[in-house]
Amino acid sequence: MQIDTKNAIQIENLTVAYRGKPALWDVSLTVPEGVLMAIVGPNGAGKSTLIKSMMNLVPRAGGTIKFYGKSYRQMRNSVAYVPQRASVDWDYPTSVLGVVLMGLYGQMGLFQRPGKKQKALAMEALEKVDMADFSGRPIAQLSGGQQQRTFLARALVQDAQIYLMDEPFAAVDAVTERAIVAILQELRSRERTVLVVHHDLQTLQEYFDHAALINQELFASGDIESTCTPENLRRTYGGQFMGWLAGEQ
Amino acid sequence: MLRRINDFVTTLPFWLIAVTMAAGGIACIVGCMLWFGATFDYTLQSVLTGSILLGIVTGVLGCFVTLKRQSLVGDVLAHAALPGVVIAFLIAGSGLSVLLVGAAIAGWLGLQVVSLILDTTRLKQDTALGIVLATFFGLGISILSYTQGREDAGRVGLDKFFFGQAATILGSDVLIISGITVIVLVIIIAFWKEFTLSTFDPEFAMTNGFAVRMYDLLLSSLVTITIVTGLQLAGVVLMAGMLVAPAVAARQWTDDLGEMVILSAIFGAIAGGLGAMLSGIGWGRPTGPMIIALAAMITFGSLVIAPARGMLWDWLQRWLDRHRFETENLLSDLYRFAERNQKKDYVLEEKLLIGLRGWFAYIGLRDLQRNGLITRKDSGWALTDEGYSRAEAEHQKRVQQQNQENA
Amino acid sequence: MQVIERLIIDFFLIFMSPETLRDILGNPQIVATVIGIFVAGSASLLGVWLVVRKMSLTAGAISRTVLLGIVGMFILLTDILNFPGDLESPLLIVGAAIAGLVTVYLTELVFSSGLVKEDAALGLVYPLLFAVALIAISEFVDDVHLDQDSVMLGEIGIAWLDFNEHCLENCDTVIITEDSPGARFGRECINCEPSGEFRPFDEGAIFEPICLNCGEIPASIAYNRGYTDVQPELIFFPKSITTTGLTALINLLFVGLFFKYLKISTFDSALASALGLRPGLWMYALMLLVSVTTVTAFSAVGAILIVAFFIVPPATAYLLTDRAAYMVIYSGLIGALSVITGYQLSQGRFLGILKIEPMLVFIDNNLLDLQGYTTWNTNVAGSIVTMTGFFFLLAWVVSPRYGVLSTMIRRRQQNQEFAEQMLLIFLKKQEKQINSTELPDLLQWTAAKTQRILKRALSRQVIQQNGNALELTETGHNQIEQFSLTS
Repeated sequence: MQIDTKNAIQIENLTVAYRGKPALWDVSLTVPEGVLMAIVGPNGAGKSTLIKSMMNLVPRAGGTIKFYGKSYRQMRNSVAYVPQRASVDWDYPTSVLGVVLMGLYGQMGLFQRPGKKQKALAMEALEKVDMADFSGRPIAQLSGGQQQRTFLARALVQDAQIYLMDEPFAAVDAVTERAIVAILQELRSRERTVLVVHHDLQTLQEYFDHAALINQELFASGDIESTCTPENLRRTYGGQFMGWLAGEQ
Repeated sequence: MLRRINDFVTTLPFWLIAVTMAAGGIACIVGCMLWFGATFDYTLQSVLTGSILLGIVTGVLGCFVTLKRQSLVGDVLAHAALPGVVIAFLIAGSGLSVLLVGAAIAGWLGLQVVSLILDTTRLKQDTALGIVLATFFGLGISILSYTQGREDAGRVGLDKFFFGQAATILGSDVLIISGITVIVLVIIIAFWKEFTLSTFDPEFAMTNGFAVRMYDLLLSSLVTITIVTGLQLAGVVLMAGMLVAPAVAARQWTDDLGEMVILSAIFGAIAGGLGAMLSGIGWGRPTGPMIIALAAMITFGSLVIAPARGMLWDWLQRWLDRHRFETENLLSDLYRFAERNQKKDYVLEEKLLIGLRGWFAYIGLRDLQRNGLITRKDSGWALTDEGYSRAEAEHQKRVQQQNQENA
Repeated sequence: MQVIERLIIDFFLIFMSPETLRDILGNPQIVATVIGIFVAGSASLLGVWLVVRKMSLTAGAISRTVLLGIVGMFILLTDILNFPGDLESPLLIVGAAIAGLVTVYLTELVFSSGLVKEDAALGLVYPLLFAVALIAISEFVDDVHLDQDSVMLGEIGIAWLDFNEHCLENCDTVIITEDSPGARFGRECINCEPSGEFRPFDEGAIFEPICLNCGEIPASIAYNRGYTDVQPELIFFPKSITTTGLTALINLLFVGLFFKYLKISTFDSALASALGLRPGLWMYALMLLVSVTTVTAFSAVGAILIVAFFIVPPATAYLLTDRAAYMVIYSGLIGALSVITGYQLSQGRFLGILKIEPMLVFIDNNLLDLQGYTTWNTNVAGSIVTMTGFFFLLAWVVSPRYGVLSTMIRRRQQNQEFAEQMLLIFLKKQEKQINSTELPDLLQWTAAKTQRILKRALSRQVIQQNGNALELTETGHNQIEQFSLTS
């Protein structure tokens, strides 16, 4: 099995077990550099597990994951993570700027405080998500879409090569959705690689150029056209996606 | 008018609020001392200093503990520490530092057991905490009663340690408390970023290379040591409470963690100092309960009056809204009747208005009168010219809105 | 209370003689065990629901705040209503019940403000209530025996000493008149102060004989003082047996009658709400009983034992079964077992086998200086709690369904199954022959793991080996087909 160091992410035979049941089974996926790839599948298919296992947040039963040919630990600073909104208690006493600055903590030393430089970088990231006016706002007062954009900014500020996002489009307003799409385009234009867990088949072709169909196993991956055929989708979703199929033609 | 006060207070810079509170607290403490003529003797000094320091430490640590939803951990630690204390006593006598070490180890062990239970069974956190609390304490009591057969001085020290007699606190104890306060503050400041991130978003922290487990461990160790040290002064249940009350109070006044920690320390210090002072001059002799009672008062007070979050402002807002709403209704009532009877200054009986709108109408009517929109006529009310034009304008607006909605 | 005790005594006298009954009731161990079992039973009946509803710590909090209820009621009765201070008054139980409900209510109130999280709300309310109780005690209640030790620990070992006297025979009150043989006489000065003017040693003081013990005297006292030869036949009935027994009965009735409601309110409160069953109300009822149980057990076993009984045996049962009814039964049994073995432990015998004192001697001689204190006669409550912990540990490790050991074993098996599957699928996908030596690299397994899985696969005949070359067998092919990812 050749590990091609030009590929942003190369996953080989990944198996993840959760309490004795397979969450992911023998998944082998190649993510070339510079693509916008969506990970789609029904609920409970293991999409989030895939992302998390890439970052060693869940233990593996087998397989390897390489980032540009190297392990995650070596490439940690080149990978940025946007978790699900619900994974955090938003009643925490901090501001939008505070959260974005946290994205830089990993690069700061033990006693270092965020200074002017960090704040400037953070404000830049907030500009990109159109939240610069909210920088001083306590996060407890944010709407869902604003929370999502804050998380996005936190990832952007790290200026990573690879971005892993878990359901960023879930339950956001139209403004936020457009903002996120714009960010994705901008990242692609700078040859960054973005892997996004996505749940909405309707917008798939519009927002992304690649996709991976997951339901515990990998059913297909590659560019959208050849991957998201009705046949593939049927196999991935079982009976669940009939509505989409009807709209396809 | 109250609303203006609220707005004003919200815009005050934090440091001003903090300094005011601190100054107020100091004033109260000193005032009590002078007013009631307490002798500033050695014991009072020690108790006072110890209590204030303890208030500061628990205030600071309590912020992180409550944000991690582990508010009840203090109680568990205090109980789990007992077997450690007794075994330490058996091994090495009743020196305070020995007992503290034993307590810390037992407390740490207890928390490990809790984590283990959570990781390996389907029991939830509150049950796991309860199991550790009860069984460790039971074991401790068992071994403690074994030592009750012995009648040496050390045994007395053990009693004093666990059941806390503030009156017998010594200068050396204060020294230890000070030491711990310094250590805790230094560690919190040094690892500020790490603690903040680990508490807010542990997963993200891990992806950034932070050893979240280690910071959890550090925090819980600090909490254990603090609780155990404070047991003498305040007793078990009350130390647990001090980890919660000042932090919750502080949270109501600010949305920034740094400010919250500072304010929480101030609240803790005030509760500690004032409590010690009041108990020292004979106002409710046990120190610990006084302290926690004051802390609770501060907390409930904060919950009610703190600007922005406080419940008072909520109620106020609702009352104001209702008032405005009702007043508008009254105006439109008068307008409707005036239209129907083709008389701009048609007089409506007050009783009728009250019947229509309830007792609230009394206040509404007086308000409208004050603004010159209605005037009294016989036993009723009528629109003034100004009132009429206003009512008319509002009516038009409403009609327009409805048309838009139906379109 | 006395009436009930009398009934019980009369009932048992059908089966045994008064002497036997007296021996039983006078035996500290038996009495302690009976009380302990009643308490354990009550707590188990209630504790299972608490564990499921994640309200275990609320029970712990209530065990502290009932103190406020008792104190408050006591102050109400004595200072305000001016009744005599009676620590036994059943009204105190009412106070405790109120305190328990107030605790839950305040916690929910604080939480409902939306400004405080649930755990913080509890951590705010009960220390405050407890502090108020302590302050109230020190302010208003001076010389009553509410010292912290007995409140917290109780002393089940001496519960048998606190009894009501019941008389079986020769119970008539003894009337002593001046003519009775047991009458005692003294002399009294009839014209001394304060009614007269003389003092006892003055000249003109006049004395007359007076009967010192005339009147109606209870039979037992008369006998004890030697006023009469007739010995009343007495039975001493420890009070705690009645109170804890009654509480256990009430709890049993409640849980028995309303089992279905409790089950649905705790295991599936959303459904309960949808059905209009008001789970909140059931929780309040539960907490009421928790408060009452706590306070009736106080004098016998102390707060800490109660808390342990509410949490640990039910949690242990939770590890052994999924069914509510069994949980309650197991919990009760474990509680009872803890009482019996706990009492043994307090006297130095662990599970009836190990003896502690020899171990202490060993420690004293070799490890620590115990100053020769090798008697182990310790607090019974503490030992009982320790035993509940022991049984929890046992279930934790060994439980067939949820125990740590069995889970580990199961996981290992499953991991091996996965690995084997991966091996089979891998072999199937290959176009050329694979040698066993190449496996570690290709699959990224350690040599040890490869060996293990190979051995397993070979023994199960899903693959076959010719020299070093590996090949799938037909069984192996079938297994791949049948492997269902949803299993």
